[in-house]
Amino acid sequence: MYEVPWGLPVIAYFFLAGLGAGAVSVSGSVLLRKGGFGSSRFAIARCGALIGPLPVMLGTFLIVFELGQPFRALNLFHLINLSPMSIGSWFLNIFIILSVLYAMTFMLPSAAPGDRLAPIRRGLAWVCVPLGIGVAIYTAVMLGAMPARPLWNSPILAALFVLSALSSGVASIILAGVFFRRKSSDPAIRNDYENSTYLLITSDAVLLGGELMVVFLFLLFGQLTIGDVRYAMDTILPGGQLALPFWGLVVVVGLLIPFFIEIFQMAPKLLHGRKFRSHVPLEIISPVAILIGGFALRYTLVIAGQISAPAAL
Amino acid sequence: MTKEDKHETTRRNFVQKIIAGAGVSTVAAATYGLSSKATTPDASERRAKQYAMLIDTRKCIGCHTCSVACKAEFDVPLGVTRSWVEYTEKGTYPNVSRNFLPRLCNHCRHPQCVDVCPTGATYKREQDGIVVVDSGQCIGCKYCIQACPYDARFLNPVTGVADKCDFCIHRVSKGLVPSCVNSCIGGARIFGDISDPTSEISRLVETNPVTVLRPGKGTEPQVYYIGADHSDEHENKRGWYDVRVTTHRKEKGRR
Repeated sequence: MYEVPWGLPVIAYFFLAGLGAGAVSVSGSVLLRKGGFGSSRFAIARCGALIGPLPVMLGTFLIVFELGQPFRALNLFHLINLSPMSIGSWFLNIFIILSVLYAMTFMLPSAAPGDRLAPIRRGLAWVCVPLGIGVAIYTAVMLGAMPARPLWNSPILAALFVLSALSSGVASIILAGVFFRRKSSDPAIRNDYENSTYLLITSDAVLLGGELMVVFLFLLFGQLTIGDVRYAMDTILPGGQLALPFWGLVVVVGLLIPFFIEIFQMAPKLLHGRKFRSHVPLEIISPVAILIGGFALRYTLVIAGQISAPAAL
Repeated sequence: MTKEDKHETTRRNFVQKIIAGAGVSTVAAATYGLSSKATTPDASERRAKQYAMLIDTRKCIGCHTCSVACKAEFDVPLGVTRSWVEYTEKGTYPNVSRNFLPRLCNHCRHPQCVDVCPTGATYKREQDGIVVVDSGQCIGCKYCIQACPYDARFLNPVTGVADKCDFCIHRVSKGLVPSCVNSCIGGARIFGDISDPTSEISRLVETNPVTVLRPGKGTEPQVYYIGADHSDEHENKRGWYDVRVTTHRKEKGRR
């Protein structure tokens, strides 16, 4: 019925850019963090830095070839104006270059905290964290800038996208940790891994909690208002065309299930001071669920925004 | 006076001067703002030429001549439209009505499409207020298509860039009226400079009840209607009367 100008390539880009930017921002902030957890911090930072740039570049490839005139993409860099897409492209461009450099500082097998590249690595981390947040947030600002699309025309979308991006970034780091960690019977290495997993899971639970709060507020205000926004919100509220993917995949699979798994995992240490035990199946299920939810969030909101229109002509 | 005291004094003086300066400039700016508002309300905005269109839907018979003329004028590809006519059918027999709503780009005073364009390809012309797309700059990102509350824009399938009505810029710059105005058999379309109080369109807008589309979006459209039926299919939810809108566009509900 309605035309959908921004389809799957754009949705996939929103997800991949959020994921990659989130992973790099998490990596940078973990690297710059002081105190606690010793060498496991460096392992997390390395993992995030190496994961980050790839999805961002893949997503960028997708949107460039989604353009009506792909070979004119460089026109974006002839000028900078107040269009969120213009500012976003500059962010994205600089982010890709710097995050690749940042990842390269981790690539030597001898890379370790305090090595020759450490000052450069820290310097890049200081820049990549805000740039990553910028890349994750601008997509939502871009959607939110248009009164013609009532469902998107909300500042809270930016908070939702940035929390989801950071959470996807953490999830990808947890997942990579499960598959690529050094298997060893050495208790020190084992302990390091447990420490880093605990750090990641607790951070992720905080992010998911925040995201649940933002989703709740987004829906609450949609429900409380009247007019255009209320009509648009009908597409994702129960009974709407996209209610099933929204409530099923975004809220239940993407938020509630991983949130409760992570609470279950971290509660013994957090509340009772017991030792944290990592549990591989759970560390696969909850990140995968988060990634599905992150994609479903972009999918439902981007499509719902386009199949709903302002009410009064 | 010691050196320290002197430093202290100069610093204090410096701060005092800054505060005084800021105060003076604030007052000056405020006074200037007040006085300029009081004497010449929106002087510069009133003078700026703005082409506009008035469509008297009472004279429209829904014949699509404007749409066809537009297609011919620009060789608009199949499946997309710069100008189209919507039919709004309402009610249940015998209490029924059918109204026609010719649509085109509104050449808004605050065009959202211009605000969101990342390359500056779309802009509002200073000299006549027409919103245009520079097809040599546009990258086809479709952001403007999303941002337009009137769905007036589309991606041209041949050129791969955003396209829309430009008030027949090639005709109006030579003193002719746009092709849809020229071809309208009912004389329903009036075109002219609305900033000129002596123009026909100004006179008609001043002496008739006129409406614009989606006024709540703050775009200030420059296509005005007389007798337009603003009914929309959303109203079917009430269950009181039936509304059916036929947009005569490919795969498109009204947006």
